[in-house]
Amino acid sequence: MAKSILIVDDSVTLRQVVSIALKGAGYDVIEACDGKDALGKLNGQKIHLIVSDVNMPNMDGITFVQEAKKLPAYKFTPVIMLTTEAGEDKKSAGQAAGAKAWVVKPFKPEQMLTAVSKLILP
Amino acid sequence: MNLDNALQTFFVESHELLQAMEDALLDIEHSDDPVESVNAIFRAAHTIKGSAGLFGLDGIVAFTHVMESVLDKVRGNDLAIDDGMVALLLSCGDHIKVLLNSLVDGQEQSDPAVFAEGAVLIERLSKYLGASENQIEPATLPQQHETRVEAMGGGFVETDNWHISLHFGRSVLRNGMDPLSFLRYLGTMGRIVGISTLLDAIPPAAEMDHESCYLSFEINFQSDADKAAIEGAFEFVRDDCVIHILPPRSRIADFLELIQNLPEEDMRLGDMLVRCGTLTQKELEEALALQSAGASGNAPESGEEPKRPIGEIVVEAGMVQAPVVEAALEKQKHIKEAKGQENRVIRVDAEKLDNLINLVGELVIAGASASLLSHRSVDVPLQEATSNISRLVEEIRDSALQLRMVQIGETFRRFNRVVRDVSRELGKDIELLISGAETELDKTVVEKIGDPLMHLVRNAMDHGIESAELRQSRGKPAKGTLRLNAYHESGSIVIEVGDDGGGLNRERILKKAIDKGLVSPTQNLSDQEIYMLIFEAGFSTAEQVSNLSGRGVGMDVVRRNIEALRGTCELDSQEGQGSTVRIRLPLTLAIIDGFQIGVGSASYVVPLDMVKECLELSSEERQKAKDHHYINLRGEVLPFVRLRERFSEKGQAGPRENVVVVQYGGQKAGLVVDELMGELQAVIKPLGCLFGNLKGVSGSTILGNGEVALILDVPSLIQQAVNADTQMALSQA
Repeated sequence: MAKSILIVDDSVTLRQVVSIALKGAGYDVIEACDGKDALGKLNGQKIHLIVSDVNMPNMDGITFVQEAKKLPAYKFTPVIMLTTEAGEDKKSAGQAAGAKAWVVKPFKPEQMLTAVSKLILP
Repeated sequence: MNLDNALQTFFVESHELLQAMEDALLDIEHSDDPVESVNAIFRAAHTIKGSAGLFGLDGIVAFTHVMESVLDKVRGNDLAIDDGMVALLLSCGDHIKVLLNSLVDGQEQSDPAVFAEGAVLIERLSKYLGASENQIEPATLPQQHETRVEAMGGGFVETDNWHISLHFGRSVLRNGMDPLSFLRYLGTMGRIVGISTLLDAIPPAAEMDHESCYLSFEINFQSDADKAAIEGAFEFVRDDCVIHILPPRSRIADFLELIQNLPEEDMRLGDMLVRCGTLTQKELEEALALQSAGASGNAPESGEEPKRPIGEIVVEAGMVQAPVVEAALEKQKHIKEAKGQENRVIRVDAEKLDNLINLVGELVIAGASASLLSHRSVDVPLQEATSNISRLVEEIRDSALQLRMVQIGETFRRFNRVVRDVSRELGKDIELLISGAETELDKTVVEKIGDPLMHLVRNAMDHGIESAELRQSRGKPAKGTLRLNAYHESGSIVIEVGDDGGGLNRERILKKAIDKGLVSPTQNLSDQEIYMLIFEAGFSTAEQVSNLSGRGVGMDVVRRNIEALRGTCELDSQEGQGSTVRIRLPLTLAIIDGFQIGVGSASYVVPLDMVKECLELSSEERQKAKDHHYINLRGEVLPFVRLRERFSEKGQAGPRENVVVVQYGGQKAGLVVDELMGELQAVIKPLGCLFGNLKGVSGSTILGNGEVALILDVPSLIQQAVNADTQMALSQA
């Protein structure tokens, strides 16, 4: 069974491109448009990896990761945060929240694929 | 993957975002929640940037990056949003629309007008970022790792593998990282040849924390990826783990070569190691942290404890092998030395130097004219000022000329090889002795002296030095000696080429010269004069023409080359003992210290180095001198030349006449003149080719008052004086 990845970003374009890339590589992709939406998707289904943007309306990425890590089923789910090169302070906040992997925006779809494959295989 | 649909989504979404941004900007003043409005504007720019990056639209990424930076400041309350900024951001939004529309139309490159507009907007945005951030690094897409190092010899042997020692941190599992996934990923870059799990960190089962990771691995990894790429596999656990990556043995050779080929820049050791790929940037940061930690740990007791060398730290920490560090240190030292040498010597275009010398020449003339005028005036302070200037000009002239002076050693050293090669060819054992290599002379002279010297050296080896048997039979050491010597003598440089060979055969030269019609049998010639015959065109006494010399073209070419440099040749020889050719050259060809003399209405200049002394021709001597062309100089016979006669100056000599005693190459003569006018600096202007054959004059110069003075060719005048004296003596006898 293919491994599933939750992709959280407010940009529909980004979600679309990333999911095309990840699906092409054999992953299942679940999309969410912000932190609140994403928390709703964490309803007990198995998720192998979370890819989340930091800056989103309604609930930002760091709050979302903190909340997600409180849920027992997702306590050990690896997280890739999407960051901008200027976001060093955000980075440390994210690490405190439990996100250890970072991909710097803007990125190319292949770079996202490489980062994902370092953490989980399809 | 096909992203066409996604691109359409991007356009639609971007237009929506831009519209949202515009709305937010327009009612930001009336908004209930200004913070959220700013956030919305920021997010719009941020999202467009991120999405554009996915499609590699660098132009939009770069533009939105600057916008984002400004908005980030607004968000962080570092900047207040005002009407001006709202207007600017609105036009930025319009600009992004233009960029997007041009993409919809399928134009990859936006037209220059649009680009210029973008540049203006970026500049205006940059003003908000303050001086410190004026230079905004464009947000370009990070390059993917595609660097590969060629494997040596096309493939690895089994033992030639990377060695990776990997100690996962306790929290790896808690962070949701799966250690195995990294190993699997590593497997995609090459082949994991061997892996051993280290158990020593694993505690007894009872004490084990089920959320902690105790795993450590030693991995033998076969890959042609570079170190940074391998380290990149562990990117996400890098902070928690201890990782040592040691390259295969063959890589060490590669690294050594890479270090050798690094550009000749002053680099720190760490940077060099990173540059050649043996150390990664992360490792360097760690090592530097270790270094400063070590230094600060020791600091309280020992005060200024020197930091441990970074090379030592990286070797100890197992990041780099010792030989690589040594090579890098060696390279560093080499670069520093090279830098040091560069600092000592500056290469300057010879043309620039020539130009400088020319200008200095003009300065000398102008200075002379100024000092002449000041002397005519009775203004004492002015005279002092001009004499100060004259002194400085003189110093500038000397240093400018000094710039063109080079040591003759380089030219001499070339002959080591020549002598070695030619002596092998001739089957003679000849040693070259060089002395006076540090003697300096004008660069142009050095350049032109090479060929004549080559002729002389070859000649001496071929004809001068005898074969070993003959030498031994004459009681000389079998090994012949050739000497090159240089020294300064009264304003000229003397270069000697000497050998300890057979010397010149006076009778044979004379016979040959008479045969060739160069001299008549009745001529009475001194030894010197006979020796000098070998410099005549078409003269060769060698019975056999060898491929080195003996065609009779060599020596007269030598003489002509040297005369072209305003130099002279002399030849000393002792039969059976050897001969020495002495070349005398002026130190410089541009400016000289001269001594100005007056004859009638004309002025002449004598190179000051050749002036020995000046004395008045007493009336008593004048009477005597009417009969013979010499005077008694403190018991010494001094032949002289009357310049008035020599240059056909009209009119009678004045009541008082002076003698300038000049010396050149061991001979002395007097020049009888009317007036002694004193020292001056003379910029030598060569005579036109029309006057090339004129005897007694070697050039001209412009005096301070604008008049032209001829520079006397002292050697030829001395020769004339001596000849005239001898002839008169002969005719009287």
